[in-house]
Amino acid sequence: MNNFTLGRYLPMNSPIHRLDPRAKIGAMLIALVAIFFPAGWTGYGILFAVVAGVIVLSKLSWGFIWKAMKPMMFMLFFLLVINILVVKTGNVLVMIGTFGIYSDAVMQTLYIAVRLLLMIMITTCLTATTKPLDMTLGIEDLLKPFQKIGVPSHEIAMLISIALRFIPDLIDETERIMKAQESRGVDMKEGKLSERVMAILSLIVPLFVSAFQRAEDLANAMEARGYAPGEPRTRYKVLKMERRDYILLLGSVLLLTCMIWLAYFA
Amino acid sequence: MPITFEHVSHTYSEGTPFQYAALKDVNLDIREGKITAIIGQTGSGKSTLVQHLNALLLPNEGQIHILDRVITAGEKPKKLKSLRGDVGLVFQFPEYQLFEETVLKDVAFGPKNFGVSEEEAVEKAKKALKLVDLPEDCYEKSPLELSGGQKRRTAIAGILAMDPKVLVLDEPTAGLDPAGTKAMMSLFYELNAKYGKTVLMVTHDMENVFTYCDDVVVVEDGSIKVHTDAQEFFRDSALCRSMNILPPALIRMRDMLNEKGFAIPADVQDLDALAAYIAKQVKSHE
Repeated sequence: MNNFTLGRYLPMNSPIHRLDPRAKIGAMLIALVAIFFPAGWTGYGILFAVVAGVIVLSKLSWGFIWKAMKPMMFMLFFLLVINILVVKTGNVLVMIGTFGIYSDAVMQTLYIAVRLLLMIMITTCLTATTKPLDMTLGIEDLLKPFQKIGVPSHEIAMLISIALRFIPDLIDETERIMKAQESRGVDMKEGKLSERVMAILSLIVPLFVSAFQRAEDLANAMEARGYAPGEPRTRYKVLKMERRDYILLLGSVLLLTCMIWLAYFA
Repeated sequence: MPITFEHVSHTYSEGTPFQYAALKDVNLDIREGKITAIIGQTGSGKSTLVQHLNALLLPNEGQIHILDRVITAGEKPKKLKSLRGDVGLVFQFPEYQLFEETVLKDVAFGPKNFGVSEEEAVEKAKKALKLVDLPEDCYEKSPLELSGGQKRRTAIAGILAMDPKVLVLDEPTAGLDPAGTKAMMSLFYELNAKYGKTVLMVTHDMENVFTYCDDVVVVEDGSIKVHTDAQEFFRDSALCRSMNILPPALIRMRDMLNEKGFAIPADVQDLDALAAYIAKQVKSHE
């Protein structure tokens, strides 16, 4: 269960790690929009080169990116199969009996594959180089303008950070309870239906009990320290945009313009 | 049939940036029918070590012999379930594993998993609950209604009901009050003395090690630092202190007296003998 790669933070020291989370989130959103312009292979080439550059700068290993990609492979395979069955335009590449595989089907799948690859690379760049807590601080700040129309930006950020904070704990807890029950002869992997129901029950009930216990402890601990939602608070960590953050944003806007130009004007 | 570890290594998350070697080339020989204490600082690998005993964790390298089974690194272990019935592992804070509607049902859950009939499982559960000294009016209560100490005893009864040959306990007395600790330790002592169970226990409480255990294994940084007889272990309190282990009160008392000019030999290790020595030396001084 410790093999999650998608969305995991990797503690390292790189120029990308040091960027302001708001700038990174903003740049990611702009880059994601840029991917969806039909800019052709030149466009994707440029995007890929830029993203690869960022990955190199952030000192992430390619193996890590590849691992994050892996769960998507299955989806891509299905897409390919469906495209081959449905798309009937372009040149016939291969004839199998009376069934033809068309070039557009392969091209479309390739397009989607490249877009997915780019999306995962970009989001991994963000999540692997930004501490979850910094990320929520960034989200809180980015949501602030929406406070006027009633969006509780601070509460949302607090919710996200608490949820993120407890994911590893809950995974550990699940593993612990699983092991404890396995020691009592529970087989988590196989068995008859009734046995499996029992096995899952023996895991879920203690997990819920401890999750509620933790929630209550946390609520008490927060109240004991005077936390009141909605009240103005100062921050321990104050985010500050620096020149490099503006450069990142500017760069991503340039990239977007470039894609729009390639798609509609070139 | 002793329990032996031969060149056992265990690495968590191998091949990732989070890779961590918890056990490094461990060789260990646990005596059967004895109480062995496993001590060491937090993060030294004690819990990893004991989880190998019922194959919850498998070695990355090396071989483990447990009862009549052999677990070899890289091979899928056979007869896993019967091994887990023979080696009862009680986790730290085992009260978090309780889930059934009633105490009795929860304790009977273990034996039922090993194919024992419903009635027999209840029989075994009652026997185990009697062993841990839980009042009979608790049997039909929900485990969540019990006090902390009672929950702990219920959870331990859940393992005892499986009637394991080897009992492995990960910090069984953590968080219990002194009376609860004493009752728990006496229970393990009795299980060992009366029923011949081999007991292994991870603990931080040197008083318990000193009073109840036969052997001591010190784990440090994933390796076995010391493995010796418990009485032998506390004879040399300098060794204890060098490993950041505070010796039991009686040994500290003896050391302090010796510092102040008494000459009490190192093999004086119980209260009566110590008292007798003090009396003798005080008298001879007068």
